[in-house]
Amino acid sequence: MIKMQLNPLIQRKLIRFRSLRRGYWAFLFLFLAFLLSLGAELLVNKRALIVCYEGEYFFPSYGAQIPGEQFGLNYGYETNYRELKQIFHDQAGGNWVLLPPIPYDPYEMDYRDTDSTGFSAPDWKTRHILGTDKTERDVLARLVYGFRIAFTFALGYLFLTYLLAIAAGSILGYFGGKADMFGLRLVEIWSNVPFLYMVIILASVMPGWWGSGWQISALLMIMVLFSWTGMTYYVRSAVYKEKAKDYIASAEVIGAGPCRIIFRHLLPNVISTLVTFAPFTVAAAISSITALDFLGYGLPAPTPSWGELLKQGVNNLRVAPWIVASAAGALVLTLTLVTFVGEAVREAFDPKKFSTYQ
Amino acid sequence: MNLLEVRGLKVAFENEKGEDLVVVDGVDLSLESGQTLGLVGESGCGKSVSALSLLRLLPHPAGKILNGSILWKNVDLLSMSSDQIRSIRGKEIGMIFQEPMNALNPSHTIGRQVDEVFLTHREMKQAEAREHTLKMLQKVGIPEPNVRANDYPHQLSGGMRQRIVIAMALACEPDLIIADEPTTALDVTIQAQVLQLMSELQEQSAASLLLITHDLGVVAQTCDEVAVMYGGRIVERAPVSKLFQSPKHAYTRGLLASIPSLTDPVQAKLPVIQGMVPALADLNTGCRFAPRSTHHHEQEWLEVRPPFVEVEENHWVEACPACAVLNKKDLS
Repeated sequence: MIKMQLNPLIQRKLIRFRSLRRGYWAFLFLFLAFLLSLGAELLVNKRALIVCYEGEYFFPSYGAQIPGEQFGLNYGYETNYRELKQIFHDQAGGNWVLLPPIPYDPYEMDYRDTDSTGFSAPDWKTRHILGTDKTERDVLARLVYGFRIAFTFALGYLFLTYLLAIAAGSILGYFGGKADMFGLRLVEIWSNVPFLYMVIILASVMPGWWGSGWQISALLMIMVLFSWTGMTYYVRSAVYKEKAKDYIASAEVIGAGPCRIIFRHLLPNVISTLVTFAPFTVAAAISSITALDFLGYGLPAPTPSWGELLKQGVNNLRVAPWIVASAAGALVLTLTLVTFVGEAVREAFDPKKFSTYQ
Repeated sequence: MNLLEVRGLKVAFENEKGEDLVVVDGVDLSLESGQTLGLVGESGCGKSVSALSLLRLLPHPAGKILNGSILWKNVDLLSMSSDQIRSIRGKEIGMIFQEPMNALNPSHTIGRQVDEVFLTHREMKQAEAREHTLKMLQKVGIPEPNVRANDYPHQLSGGMRQRIVIAMALACEPDLIIADEPTTALDVTIQAQVLQLMSELQEQSAASLLLITHDLGVVAQTCDEVAVMYGGRIVERAPVSKLFQSPKHAYTRGLLASIPSLTDPVQAKLPVIQGMVPALADLNTGCRFAPRSTHHHEQEWLEVRPPFVEVEENHWVEACPACAVLNKKDLS
């Protein structure tokens, strides 16, 4: 019987990480924020959470649109739940609607007044807590969905860059010799391809008829493709260092092949050194996707994004200062928290802590 | 038939300039089943490299075998494919390393590491392999094997770790165990325990043992035969008792003289072999010991490699007239 258990050294690192209050709380906060953003449809949405209509319950948050006719309204397109709530309230017939805390969608243009010109200031009564942008879309809704996209994007970026870097680094490091010599030169040449230009060029030739999901994935691929090389050097040198140790020779002595040695013996020892870089990679990914959006080469419109909000905010700084304030605030907060996590991880993994003499 | 027969093994390492430095220069070894051969010499004389070459485990790409043959059960290991050699490693030839801390993977439990030997060579299911592992751990004297199997290497003491390494080397009951200074990193008390454990297990499985060491005490205790290496060559080879009683080569005599004895006067200075092991690039082609020898060497023996001759029954020595004590008839 083999029990699944954590290596006590890793346990010790986890305990140490938990004891670093700032980083640990930052991690918890970010983790919670990301979890909540995954369920953002329940918190920030124009669709109601629950509708009780003539004794029947409806949960419109997910799934197909429910036409207005369903609730006795005179239209066939999607129900406007904010209106419905008002109507039910006026009827006082026992029907009710429960709206999410922020009853707006990131794509929805809330032209409640016909003379609206965009840029409604933050207002508690209309529930536009952080105001609206130039097409009357709710800023908070766009921030929340933008966070979800940016963070998912960053995690995907982290995973894919590490995958490529670990694959390339361990091949170079393990086989060494000529493979390393030529492989490393290729990596160096590739890493000299200018990242920003390549992303801008490739992103701008992306066919517009692709769905936004495809465009986002393609953007992710392009970014990964032109930035995975940095981590390769670390992996390669870590593999070199580990490969020289006797336990690899000892694995070879018992007859293990290259695959087994790389995956079972080298990687577990190499990856622990890479973990410390992960939070900083996430921070870098969030800032680069925001920067690309700001320049207009990032996520396709009308995807909610922080960079796009920042751009709008900067362009309309006099008219609508709340946009740039909330977007910049959110960005700074997120990046600071991620960096706190990174610092704590780095400190928890710092071997010096375990070998000081006092 | 000898189990292992090494003929004229020549191993070189490439330096930064691309030159080959010969580390092992024409080594002959042979080992019968059940026999224990000690390979002794100073650091850097090529003992470990010779042993690693037996498993074709030279550092890639710097190290390479230039010449010679290694016959394992009459098949040349040097002409085998990597798959073939992999099926011999661990199964027919086991190896014990010097530093038990480094020889175990820090990120796996010791149980998993011993399991791996069985999983690699015996087409076993995980559960079955674990059963064998526990038996093996019991055999090498690990208390409470089923608890310890879930420990990581850093949780064990040096002696325990070396026992695990031995368990891994012996798991598949190999015919030959190569032990590269197995006790150097251990306390003296633990050394004795580990040596005893090794010879017990060796006896049980009737395996041969190639023991690499620079500790002549260990050699006297465990080996049947000894080969003394100097500068990449074997300078003397004899059964243990003969070598200790009548060493023929100046280097061997020097080694034996530099062991402190209980009967020596307390204040006496311990004899030492003058000088240092020369750098690989500076080795001469003739008698390698000449620069450190107190005897005068004829120019001939600085250039010509002295022949390896049998001076008594089973007692071989590199017959440099200045270094070796030879009978008159051998010189002719």
